Amino acid sequence: MDWVFLTELAINGALTGLLYSLFAIGIVLIYKASSVPNLAQGGLTMLGAYVVLALSHDAGLPLWLAIPLAAVIMFGLGFGIERVALRRLAGRPVVMILMLTLGLDIFLRGMTLAVWGGTSRSVELGVSYEPFFLGDIFVSRIHLVGAGVALALFAAFMVFFRSRTGIKLRAIADDYMASWSVGISVERGVGLSWALASVVAVAAGVIWGEIQGVDQALSLLLLKGLTVAVLGGLDSILGAIIAGIILGIVENVGADFLDPLVGGGSRELIVAAVLILTVMIRPHGLFGRHDIERV
Amino acid sequence: MSIQNKSDAQPILSMNSVEVLYDNVIMAVKGVSVQVPKGSMVALLGSNGAGKSTTLKAISGLLKAERGRISRGEIKFEGEDITEMLAQHRVEMGICHVIEGRRVFEHLTPDENLTAAAPKGMSRSKLNTEKERIYNHFPRLAERRNSASGYLSGGEQQMLAIGRALVTQPSLLMLDEPSLGLAPFLVDEIFGIIKRISTEDGMSVLLVEQNALAALEIVSEGYLIENGRVVMHGTAEALKSNSDIQEFYLGGGEETDFHNVKHYSRRKRWLS
Amino acid sequence: MFYRLSGVYRVNYVSDGRMFKVPADRNLAVVFLFLGLAAPFIVPSLYLNSYMLPWLIWTAAALGLNLVTGWAGQLHLGYAAVMAVGAYSAIHAARFGLPWEIALVIGGLASSVIGSLFAFAALRVKGLYLALTTLAMQFVMDWVLTHSPAISGGSHASLQAPTLELLGQEIVSDTGYYYVAFGWCVLVTIFMLNLKRTGLGRALVAVREKDYAAAILGVNSFYYKILAFATSSFIAGVSGALLVATFFFLAAPEQFSVNVSIQVLAMVIIGGLASVIGSYFGVALILLVPGLVNGVVTSASQALGMQVNVETLAHIPNAVYGALIVVILLIEPLGLGKLYGNIRDYLMVWPFDQLRK
Repeated sequence: MDWVFLTELAINGALTGLLYSLFAIGIVLIYKASSVPNLAQGGLTMLGAYVVLALSHDAGLPLWLAIPLAAVIMFGLGFGIERVALRRLAGRPVVMILMLTLGLDIFLRGMTLAVWGGTSRSVELGVSYEPFFLGDIFVSRIHLVGAGVALALFAAFMVFFRSRTGIKLRAIADDYMASWSVGISVERGVGLSWALASVVAVAAGVIWGEIQGVDQALSLLLLKGLTVAVLGGLDSILGAIIAGIILGIVENVGADFLDPLVGGGSRELIVAAVLILTVMIRPHGLFGRHDIERV
Repeated sequence: MSIQNKSDAQPILSMNSVEVLYDNVIMAVKGVSVQVPKGSMVALLGSNGAGKSTTLKAISGLLKAERGRISRGEIKFEGEDITEMLAQHRVEMGICHVIEGRRVFEHLTPDENLTAAAPKGMSRSKLNTEKERIYNHFPRLAERRNSASGYLSGGEQQMLAIGRALVTQPSLLMLDEPSLGLAPFLVDEIFGIIKRISTEDGMSVLLVEQNALAALEIVSEGYLIENGRVVMHGTAEALKSNSDIQEFYLGGGEETDFHNVKHYSRRKRWLS
Repeated sequence: MFYRLSGVYRVNYVSDGRMFKVPADRNLAVVFLFLGLAAPFIVPSLYLNSYMLPWLIWTAAALGLNLVTGWAGQLHLGYAAVMAVGAYSAIHAARFGLPWEIALVIGGLASSVIGSLFAFAALRVKGLYLALTTLAMQFVMDWVLTHSPAISGGSHASLQAPTLELLGQEIVSDTGYYYVAFGWCVLVTIFMLNLKRTGLGRALVAVREKDYAAAILGVNSFYYKILAFATSSFIAGVSGALLVATFFFLAAPEQFSVNVSIQVLAMVIIGGLASVIGSYFGVALILLVPGLVNGVVTSASQALGMQVNVETLAHIPNAVYGALIVVILLIEPLGLGKLYGNIRDYLMVWPFDQLRK
């Protein structure tokens, strides 16, 4: 057993996992603020990356301007999604809302590719590809940057959900009717959560786009993002971070053991297994809320 | 001076022959008119499904969430027509509705429940004094202010729901069956507190109750609603002494005569 | 007026329990049955083969999913994987030399067994969590398919289906394929139409509405959930096998990927949960409209003399497909079946609809 190699696997796995968290935060945000499962985060992430590309490469803006501008555009789009789609289905059974977000996902993906084409492009963030050594351990710089962004967002949202607006969003997730009754604008709250998730999607899109190129593979992160969100507990931002690290490590180390046995490609299998086991054993995840049932 | 007098006489809330349709078909309220004088406490009495809760929802604007709408009539709050207004704007104007079944935000602590209801632009210090005022009214809540609300007892949840409504600074507080499922002594306690707040702050209260006995003890006047219509209106004293009310809602009155049981419904003569 | 019925005139349980409560519905069904039988003589074979046939088979498959999602209320995002199990088992059995009739049954049974595994997830969780579990199971099945050459047919990951032969007849013509699909779809439709008249159907609805309340009434929700999954999986398996035998001719894992699962669920929900006629509409819409839109865009761009990017053209159907799901859900969350029902109810009393008010 090569411990240095194993540590390297674990650390890189944890960093990749934090990037999954970056994606999962978008799902958690919306669930935490409206109890709506957001399966459109893949499409949003893809769109976020393409908008940044359109602003920087096609319109020629510098990246430091293009990314915030994209965030603003996506923020507005998030509100738009609530206004056009979710508002009319509020209170409907979860099947329909699930289907709605899936339809949204398919639409966003199709639209993005129809407008910008499917050729893979790079964001060119300017992060060096020079390896970075922690002692003997090789770490990729872009992964470090991404992990940093994920942690920063985590901190920001932890603060946000303790603020008055954040508490109102959590109240909405608990009970729409009671929220209306005390004058909380449920529509605006849900819109805000989609807007924030769309901004997170820009961050995830840029980082992931830098790592694997901006193309439709970005939307395939959905399964991993969902697994992280469920493992952490669908309404826990802290859970998303910790579950991301866990999933990243399990996936990286597990794949190293399993790949020689099954002939490669066992990552997806591990992720799916983690998702199934989580739901079977502990559906509310590591830090998710139990539904309180008093008898 | 005369204008001042006039506005004093004007009721804080007046509903004129309001009809409510659910899903565009089911008429739950068929022309109800209710006036709440400023600073007073009014009760809506009636049996299950009479349309009391729907009346409250029509006033607070929560009908929309249940696919209902006001098809006729108008509602005026402090002289202003609010019939078509959004629920959140009505709350800003000072109407707050404590909905049936103590729907507290279960995963939030009592403290956060109160914060969630804070109106836009309320300063932090004002919110804190407001919270302290509510904890003074309901000392039991203060003890548990940082535990999950879902685990509070029924009475504490009801107190929290009322406290949460008070944070919105209502001039008209509407309570939907606050006594539901609570022990009698808790009902007395909660009603006592409501009465005290109402007299201290001059807050008007519209109370929906099935527990007519307890309600008539604290209100000054009451409306009796049956089948979506107001069938009786009077001061609390008058209602309490009415023999029909005594028989059907207060469980007292004459001794039960089982020979007359089959005439029961016929004797509810104010029913159409 | 067209339906010649201006109210509910059922006076006894026998008439209330009829398969078609409105006589006009029955007449319509008979008309469409005959149209379906006559289709090979009316419809050009290109359309027969590339539109009618997949429409019918996918409808049968969608009805199977509707059994589990619409009637029993269990979300299922791994339906394509179950279809794959049926398709691969049947084709392997047929290649092994078994007659197709038996191979199809084997495919259905194999699907039932695997599909019941999904049911065990349903016993523990429901709603969103069930959807996610079945989604994960779909990924597992995908993985198994693509990573076991013994199943998927070697390095090319495609498996040739032997010539279909039913009741001693070799089926090679377009008309023959069409009739096989038609027969299967009619069979499934009749089964589903009868479902709500049986104890099984009522038990499933009870489980859907509130499983513990159903349990209190003596409905064994455990048993019925598994039964629902097993039955629907059987339909899925046979539909999958027929799809390969009459349409694709080659089985490949992508034909049963996660996107296909989402697509079948979309068909069911767009069509309307627990609506038989709705599934026909839903499948038609999801299957045909994106292609049609593409055709329209192509010809419109040619007519206007605009150059449309090939890539744009390739992705427009997807965007349209997604938009279609969203738009229909916004217009009528209960699906096209409900829209049809509304129109029918309106026409039943038209032009005397003021009588209803």
